[in-house]
Amino acid sequence: MSEASQSLAWSFSRAFAIASNTFREAVRMKLFLAMTTLAICSLASSFFFREFNFGSSELKFITDFGFGGMSVFGSALAVIVSAQLFYGEIEHRTAMTLLAKPIHRSEFVLGKFMGAWSTVLCFLAMLTLCLIAALWWRETSLMAEYPDSFQSGRIVQYGSLLGFAFAQALRIGILCSVVILFSTYASSSLFAMVMGVLIWIVGQLQHIATEAWGAVDSWILKGIYAFVSYALPNLHLFDVGEGAALGENLSLVLYAKLAAYALLYGTFYLAIASASFNRREL
Amino acid sequence: MTPAIAIDNLTKDFRIPGAKQRLRAVESLSLTIEQGGIYGLLGPNGSGKSTTIKIVLGLLSPSSGDCRVFDLPSSNPAARKRVGYLPEAPYFQRFLTGRELLQYFGRLSGLSRERLHERIDSLLARVGLEDAGDRRIGAYSKGMLQRIGMAQALIGDPELLILDEPTAGVDPVGAADIATLIMGLKEEGKTILLCSHLLSQVEAICDRVAIMGKGRLLREGTIESLTRDAGDGALRIEGLASGARAEIEALAVERGGEVVRSSKSLEDLFLELARSDGEETEQ
Repeated sequence: MSEASQSLAWSFSRAFAIASNTFREAVRMKLFLAMTTLAICSLASSFFFREFNFGSSELKFITDFGFGGMSVFGSALAVIVSAQLFYGEIEHRTAMTLLAKPIHRSEFVLGKFMGAWSTVLCFLAMLTLCLIAALWWRETSLMAEYPDSFQSGRIVQYGSLLGFAFAQALRIGILCSVVILFSTYASSSLFAMVMGVLIWIVGQLQHIATEAWGAVDSWILKGIYAFVSYALPNLHLFDVGEGAALGENLSLVLYAKLAAYALLYGTFYLAIASASFNRREL
Repeated sequence: MTPAIAIDNLTKDFRIPGAKQRLRAVESLSLTIEQGGIYGLLGPNGSGKSTTIKIVLGLLSPSSGDCRVFDLPSSNPAARKRVGYLPEAPYFQRFLTGRELLQYFGRLSGLSRERLHERIDSLLARVGLEDAGDRRIGAYSKGMLQRIGMAQALIGDPELLILDEPTAGVDPVGAADIATLIMGLKEEGKTILLCSHLLSQVEAICDRVAIMGKGRLLREGTIESLTRDAGDGALRIEGLASGARAEIEALAVERGGEVVRSSKSLEDLFLELARSDGEETEQ
């Protein structure tokens, strides 16, 4: 029998097995519980501003708090969970037993990514539900209190809230894939986390580099700006919160474009991560 | 028959961060492990055993030379379909129960859901953990960890088992149970590559051994041939005066008998080789 006929077919089922185990580990980590509690508490704290009697603008305040929690805590959780769940397997040497099984390293990389991402998706889903419940409850109270401000019915665009959560899920997917890429050759989980935070910050400011690209004359600077513009994702694109909070309905085309953008960058980073992890000696 | 493991002129160097020179962990190692039987891989700490095992498992790539498992390059994941591995210290996900761990590794080994349940029950019974299968691994004792490790190594019904210190930290009764289990696996026709510092156990159960030192192969062969060849010719006679001993030897030969020289134990041979290898390196 030739060697080619004895190759191991790539399997999604093995990647899913790794993903579900990763998710189980993340849920059993106390960190997940701590972050969720913290985010819900931050959302609940927005209710203290009721004392200022903002009327209907109080709803925007709660929405902004909720969006902030989803964005900041979601990104932080993505960085920590991805680094911990991927690098932790190398650090605790469980990866050795795992990779001694008939699996491709790219299945391991994809499985870890799916496990980490689904963990943060759960967190986002919980927070979104809490935000919707909080807004619904407060809006109902305000409608009874200030009927004049609500003559045309409810003012919160609940569909846009889901749209914002979807955009954050995509943004966090990119962030998870970046952290996993760094974890494949990191020598500590701290390094992967620090790099993840740096990419998060640079990604938020990436549009500045894109704008500066055309404005500079130096070829060196042009090269740096070009690299930052293409190699790093523009995470600012996913900040659709302002429009959603103002009750503006965002088009489905925008969400489709964001999904395609996230898919492109996520696939790019995971492909590099797989190539890097294939070369890693355990 | 295709050898279970064929290592040809294998060398492995590691880069030392910040240094120009490299650390040579394995040097020009050639070994052939045929199918069936128990093969012992011995050597003091730092002799290159673990590096060799990691190359066989595809966790490390050789710097030069070739390593094949059932005639497939060890870097090919397909080679590991026929291999089960028990690591030295049991590195398992401590948040899982024993049963969950076997389910996880069973799924990775490609077992169907129906077959998996049946296999897990039989393996838990075989390693004596049928009552502890639903307990978290984090709460297992060292002996239980080794036993669940044996079970996960066997989950895919492999033809080749690589057992790295399977009795480390296990009490004598547990070690004897594991030895019995290994012997049973041999009878089923499996090939076992055993790394152990427990030389009396290796001597009792291995068919062939290789002794490594400083990354090189020092000796290889059946235990009988190695210990016989290494015998120092000592004749042990007790309860006789010294003068009478020569007379007895001469008499034995004269009468057509044979004076059987005592052979060294594997442990004596191992210690001698390890010490002389260390002295040579120092010089």
